[in-house]
Amino acid sequence: MPLVIKDEYPKKLFRDDGKRLDGRDVDELRPIKMEVGVIKNADGSAYLEWGNNKIFAAVYGPREVHPHHLSKPDRGILRVFYRMATFSVFDRKRPAPGRREKEISMIIADCLEPVLFLELYPGTCFEVFIEVMDADGGTRCASTTVAALALADAGIPMKSLVSSVAVGKIDGKKIVDLSGIEDKAGEADLPCAITWYNEEISLLQFDGDMNLDEMNEFLKLIKESLEKIHQIQLNTLKSKYLELKEESAKKEESKAKKGEN
Amino acid sequence: MMDVKRLISKIERNYIKSNLLKEERIDERGLWEYRDFKIRSDIISSAEGSADVSLGDTRIITGLKYEVGEPFPDIPDEGVCTVMAELLPVASPLFERGPPDEQSIELARVVDRGIRHADCVQTKKLCIKENEAVYILFVDLYVINYGGNLIDAGGVSALTTLISAHIPEGKIEDGALEWTGNYITGETIINELPLVMTYGKIDEIVFLDPSLPEELVSDGKLSISVTENKITSIQKSGAATFSFDEIKMLCKKSLELGKNLRKEFDLWQYKYKPTI
Repeated sequence: MPLVIKDEYPKKLFRDDGKRLDGRDVDELRPIKMEVGVIKNADGSAYLEWGNNKIFAAVYGPREVHPHHLSKPDRGILRVFYRMATFSVFDRKRPAPGRREKEISMIIADCLEPVLFLELYPGTCFEVFIEVMDADGGTRCASTTVAALALADAGIPMKSLVSSVAVGKIDGKKIVDLSGIEDKAGEADLPCAITWYNEEISLLQFDGDMNLDEMNEFLKLIKESLEKIHQIQLNTLKSKYLELKEESAKKEESKAKKGEN
Repeated sequence: MMDVKRLISKIERNYIKSNLLKEERIDERGLWEYRDFKIRSDIISSAEGSADVSLGDTRIITGLKYEVGEPFPDIPDEGVCTVMAELLPVASPLFERGPPDEQSIELARVVDRGIRHADCVQTKKLCIKENEAVYILFVDLYVINYGGNLIDAGGVSALTTLISAHIPEGKIEDGALEWTGNYITGETIINELPLVMTYGKIDEIVFLDPSLPEELVSDGKLSISVTENKITSIQKSGAATFSFDEIKMLCKKSLELGKNLRKEFDLWQYKYKPTI
């Protein structure tokens, strides 16, 4: 039977003043908040709030590979498991992972692998678990971004961070960082990720229609937004160490005071 | 405090045990003291109710979703409320991917029974039209970090989620389901507030709220759910045995602790507040 409220979206996705429904300009990102070290048991972890998206990522490894036949004698492997909570979407999602989740897991693993030195870890695996608690469009980009942060938090050698964002098209206008409604109602959706060590594209998918000129414009638009996201990632990682520094300074201070007494 | 994630050494085991024999705990708590609870509600915008509960290092996020379905033939005017739990692999190296294992099913079932037999959810309020349409509520628990005693944290998390509920109110008109424009909130569907208290046992020593290292060395556990003045469900798990006197004592203790906790939590403060 259907739900009481139907999952409908408005026909018009721009306000009269030309801004988007949530008040953003066409090239404006939603508010982004990141945190690292949020899951104490994990080797590395990160939490991301990107608009209404709320995502946890945790890294375990290098550790033994289960099942064993997946391990490679000459290099480590990276496994990513992207999952959505049952309550993260409008219609309750079935608890078992579906085809979409498995595909996105693979896409994200392929995207992150280039920045790791897997050849240094033969016979082992790194496992990245991504849990989407609340979803509102662009979860694969947000997940890639937060997974890269969790890998860095785990202290795993990386060539660089990876940042990701989607661009799209509504009423012929190019927009950055599609929300859930814009994703469903828009004409085009192009999620994309960059590996910063070589500034190349490591995740790319596209659904919709565009011509060659539009593609060129999209790629230019993406770069600007990715730089903003990269900066937030870097600041988040740095702030953890600044906090640790402050903590140890405080400890030193109280020790010194005790010594005086 | 020990940094235990997975294995626990014999030395650590003996240390925990010898401390408990002196009625001391490795995190300096008393035997009948909880770690700090932190409760936040309505944090998931896609869910019809949600809670984020921490108990020490344990953290559980719970969300509520609903479906409209046909009632069971023997209770044609009552809705259904089910609890599911997932021990996410993010939460501990001890948890693996895959379908729910024994531990997560036990967590879900103990929390579920604590609620079900306590006159907590008023299932008659979840009826849209007799014999035709009722609400099916799904309370899904996701363990984000495993720091011991999932059951007590899960119980508070599920209860807070139900209190924060805001489910679109439906009516059946000309055979079609429609929204009245109002919401059914936790205040309407929740009556009693059951709380569950878990005790660990090592040899002859019993203590409240085992942390992860304590849970790993415990012989077994006893979980007791209580409402204001009734015991509503009990679960003994693990290979420990409890004496008759111990069980009597723990039941009495649970009712006392329950009264204090209910006052301390003041769970009705987490009821749904519409944003204007």
